[in-house]
Amino acid sequence: MQHFTGITQVVVAAAAEDKTGERLPILPLWGELIFGVIAFAILYWVVATKVVPNLEKAYAERTAAIEGGMQQAEEAQQQAQAALEQYQAQLAEARAEAARIREEAREQGAAIVVEMRGHAQAEANRITEAAHKQIEAERQQAVVSLRSEVGRLSTELASRIVGESLEDETRRRGTVDRFLAELEAGNIQPEKVGEGA
Amino acid sequence: MTGNIAILGYGLSAIGPGVGIGLIFAAYINGVARQPEARGVLQGIAILGFALAEALAIFGLVLAFVFK
Amino acid sequence: MSLNVLGAISPAAAGGDGEGFHAPTPAEFYQPLIGHGDFAITRPMVVLAISVALIAWFLVATTKRAAVVPGKGQWVTEGAYNFVRNGVARDIIGSHDFLRFVPLLFSMFMLILVNNLFGVIPPIQYPTMSRIGFPIALTLLVFVIYHAVGIRKNGAWGHIKHMIPPGLPKGIYVLIIPLELLTYFVTRPLTLALRLFGNMFAGHMLLLLFITGGEYMLIHGGIGLKAAGVGSFGMAFVLTAFEALIEFLQAYIFTLLAATYIAGSLADEH
Repeated sequence: MQHFTGITQVVVAAAAEDKTGERLPILPLWGELIFGVIAFAILYWVVATKVVPNLEKAYAERTAAIEGGMQQAEEAQQQAQAALEQYQAQLAEARAEAARIREEAREQGAAIVVEMRGHAQAEANRITEAAHKQIEAERQQAVVSLRSEVGRLSTELASRIVGESLEDETRRRGTVDRFLAELEAGNIQPEKVGEGA
Repeated sequence: MTGNIAILGYGLSAIGPGVGIGLIFAAYINGVARQPEARGVLQGIAILGFALAEALAIFGLVLAFVFK
Repeated sequence: MSLNVLGAISPAAAGGDGEGFHAPTPAEFYQPLIGHGDFAITRPMVVLAISVALIAWFLVATTKRAAVVPGKGQWVTEGAYNFVRNGVARDIIGSHDFLRFVPLLFSMFMLILVNNLFGVIPPIQYPTMSRIGFPIALTLLVFVIYHAVGIRKNGAWGHIKHMIPPGLPKGIYVLIIPLELLTYFVTRPLTLALRLFGNMFAGHMLLLLFITGGEYMLIHGGIGLKAAGVGSFGMAFVLTAFEALIEFLQAYIFTLLAATYIAGSLADEH
């Protein structure tokens, strides 16, 4: 507790040297006050003109960089989206084109088939017609030729029969056989009997 | 025993603000514990209340020097 | 170590001339280097000048080429700048017009912080703000600015009216008006300056007491007192760490209150 005596003694000692030190500590030294204002003004000037603008610029740049990066990414995404859409559009177009071509081909094929079938039918008809005509013609020819042959043969046969005296069976048979044999051998020349018949 | 009775005055003047500051920060801790997301708002208010309460102790300190 | 801490401590305490222990006194904070009286060049002035030069150099050097991707120095500066800009200015004043006050608050914060920390940094170990002149200088600026801002926004009469909360019964105004005026013109600046001064002054005094007392007990005491002296030094170390915390907190509070006062003058509604 004797410390308090110490306080007063030192205060007295200090007072002897310089009255200013004894002043109440809550009363300012004018020199210090003014110097404080000046020092702060200098620091404020430095901070306001040199430090804060640079920092704010860096902040703004940083914000811009981040926003720019985001914008860039957005643009890239938009481009990719556009490319995708374009690709899909092209794909759809190609598909439609392919479908159209296929449809066309099918139609063409069907048309060709129909056409070919018509052709074939016409050809077949024509061939059949021609065959019929030929057959008819041949038949006519055969009929004509047969008719003349039969006439000639009949006259031949009749002349033979009439020419020979048909005395006996044997001779009669013999005549017929001879005739047939001759006929087979081809010795009998066809003759014109048509004028007689 | 010699000394300055003004120091006793300062001691007395420090009691009230001491209790007050304790209450302020107790409430602050309580608030933050209940709602951690309100920390930013509460911090400013707590510091402001702390400063106001402390002003009384500072007056005591000043007067202790003035009435020597 | 004690010489560093004490600077020009009175020879009685250091030398121990047999008169007993001399506790540190407020008079020891007055350390004129050149001349004497009101306009002497004192030690805190030199410390303040050094701090201003140091802060200005550091800030300019780290932000001269402020890059989008910060370097180490710029990162440190930006940490402090962000703390003041976003944590104090924008939160308190509001995002509309806080940018005007950022240089003021930032330089104030840096100046107080560095000068306070000089109280525990070894080669200097003198908190400038324990001389009342410097806190008063800063407070004077804050006082002028928050009134000027209010007058520019609302006009002189509007600024006065702005201080009085509206919508109270008539009778209460008799009580409220003097109180509010007292708050705005006396209490606020007074406490703003004295809080900073008081914390730095008392904290440094405490350190002085523990260190000089410990030294005295070690040199002049018996066995028991020597042990107490060691304990005293230990306390000095603990308190030094505590002081560092207080010093940061005081810089923050001063800036925060300055921002609060400015915001109060700018606010539209009371």
